[in-house]
Amino acid sequence: MIIAAPSVNTCIIDNNQIYAYGLKKLLSIKDLCKQVTHFNNGSEAIAHLKDPGNTQNLPDIIFLDIIMPIMDGWEFMKEFEEIKSQLGKKISVYILSSSIDLHDIDRAKNIPSISDYIFKPVDVKQLQEIFKNLQGIARQ
Amino acid sequence: MSFSEDRFSDDSRLHLAQIIDNINAGIWEYNINTRVIKWSAGFYSILGYEANEIECSNHIFFDHLLYHQDKAVFLNALNDQSANSAKPIQIRLLTKSSGYHWFESTIKKQYDKNGQIIYGSIININQYKQAELKATRNDQHYGDTIRIAKLGSWEIDAATLNLTLSKQIYDIFELQTEIKLSIEEGVSFFEPPYRSVIQNAINNALEFCQPYDLELLFRTAKNHVIWVRAKGVPIINEYGKCVTIRGILQDIDSNKRKGLSLESSLNLLTDQNRRLQNFAYIVSHNLRSHTGNLQFMVNLYEETELAEDRTEIFSHIKSISSSLNATIEHLNEIVKIQTEITNERSIISFEAIFNNIQLAIKSNIEAFNARIEYDFSQCPQISYIPAYMESILQNLLTNALKYSHPDRQPHIICHTMKERNHIYLIFEDNGIGIDLERYGDKVFGMYKTFHQNPDAKGIGLFITRNQIEALGGTIKIESTVNIGTKFTIKLV
Repeated sequence: MIIAAPSVNTCIIDNNQIYAYGLKKLLSIKDLCKQVTHFNNGSEAIAHLKDPGNTQNLPDIIFLDIIMPIMDGWEFMKEFEEIKSQLGKKISVYILSSSIDLHDIDRAKNIPSISDYIFKPVDVKQLQEIFKNLQGIARQ
Repeated sequence: MSFSEDRFSDDSRLHLAQIIDNINAGIWEYNINTRVIKWSAGFYSILGYEANEIECSNHIFFDHLLYHQDKAVFLNALNDQSANSAKPIQIRLLTKSSGYHWFESTIKKQYDKNGQIIYGSIININQYKQAELKATRNDQHYGDTIRIAKLGSWEIDAATLNLTLSKQIYDIFELQTEIKLSIEEGVSFFEPPYRSVIQNAINNALEFCQPYDLELLFRTAKNHVIWVRAKGVPIINEYGKCVTIRGILQDIDSNKRKGLSLESSLNLLTDQNRRLQNFAYIVSHNLRSHTGNLQFMVNLYEETELAEDRTEIFSHIKSISSSLNATIEHLNEIVKIQTEITNERSIISFEAIFNNIQLAIKSNIEAFNARIEYDFSQCPQISYIPAYMESILQNLLTNALKYSHPDRQPHIICHTMKERNHIYLIFEDNGIGIDLERYGDKVFGMYKTFHQNPDAKGIGLFITRNQIEALGGTIKIESTVNIGTKFTIKLV
């Protein structure tokens, strides 16, 4: 058996409990990632990223919803851009949204640290692709 | 050249004739008895001819030189018995090479031994006449233009503050007589809210040489309220001080009113468009989000073998189903607003409705131990769609309770107000408030929630705003975080 790649740490930022549960379950069933943290909004996630106690426990990948109370996806990205250089780890951010509004898609494209825009629900093949690439990068 | 009088010696007569020939004028003479006509050399030359180049005859003069329309003028002058005091006449004569020119001729009558003689001198006045005709045309043109433009001009002398108004200004003022007006009296014709605006503009022009161009409401002497454009430009002296303000006043009423009505229909359309967009947004986002989740859960159900997972997934499917139902119901409510708008309005009492609602949510109010005050004395009644009013008051009241501050007793104040022709409903609470700088434009949007309140659905204020706007009103919010929120609703 191939030795599992250094386990990937995933973070879901979404106020939709059902979706977060589903994604977590899917990642687990498909054996893509066991370590999943869930935050209800951007603010909770930023607090987690900023907490010095979590430096060893930072995510490799963030799935970010756009519409959330308290701090939405765009506001999260603004704060994330400010702190990302201090995190000491490359974190890939994917927008995961049910919005098919072109305005949202364009806006995401214009933020350099967003890797891609994925429509909800999610295509399993696309997820597998993302994690394959991520492990490739991690190995290098 | 000959003169019929014998007062002069031949020499002096010749000398005089030479002088006369050299001034740019012609002299003619006509003997009524002998019908003999005589022209001076100057007569020929001002018409562009050499002396004796054309025959000196009545026939040539009346049929060739004199413009046919001016014959009457000339003959009348000849026949006029008081010709000696007559004014010079203006006639057109054909010149040799440049067509008809205007000439002025004097006409004198005299009796001597040869009978009755009429004589006169003619000078070319073509240039002046053309200029005069042009000036008349320009005046006419100018008069027509400013009348068409409904424009009047005025002037203020900076030193004396003397106001001079053109005739057209009095037409705009609808004043019968051109009475003298002071600046203050002129300003008093503007509607009260605009008086300080125009007065300030005049003061600034006088003091700081600032020009102005304003659109203001004006009340004429006949009590017509019209929109006018008031424009003033300071004229400065060599020291840069304003010596005069020159300006115009223009009646722009019909245009301005068209513009305003266009603006209001544009606002209405923008509002409706915004509501439509919001509707599209709900359909695209919320329904999509529910159906996406449903699809997701169904797929997961098939993927997993574990019974406990399946149980959990099924519970989620159930909750999605009820969310889907709730969203559809919300959409229904929005559609209902549009259909209920045709319902009849009736006179309703604020107090009766407010008390009914308090009764309906009594347990809720008691749970929060809320203090609720109202004062509808300023306007106890309104003609409104009762269902809307119930919904508006209930939404605001439940909202105020839902977002009450945990550290203090909720205090809610509701009152009505009448201002001009509008009825206002004011609703205040001392709740947790909302950061309007951050959420300002989203407060009344659908499915916008701003607090981590599990009951928040983001539908109440959206419905409230739609109901208010559907009846032509507006809703405004003022809020300070941790202090409270105030809604000002213009109902009609």
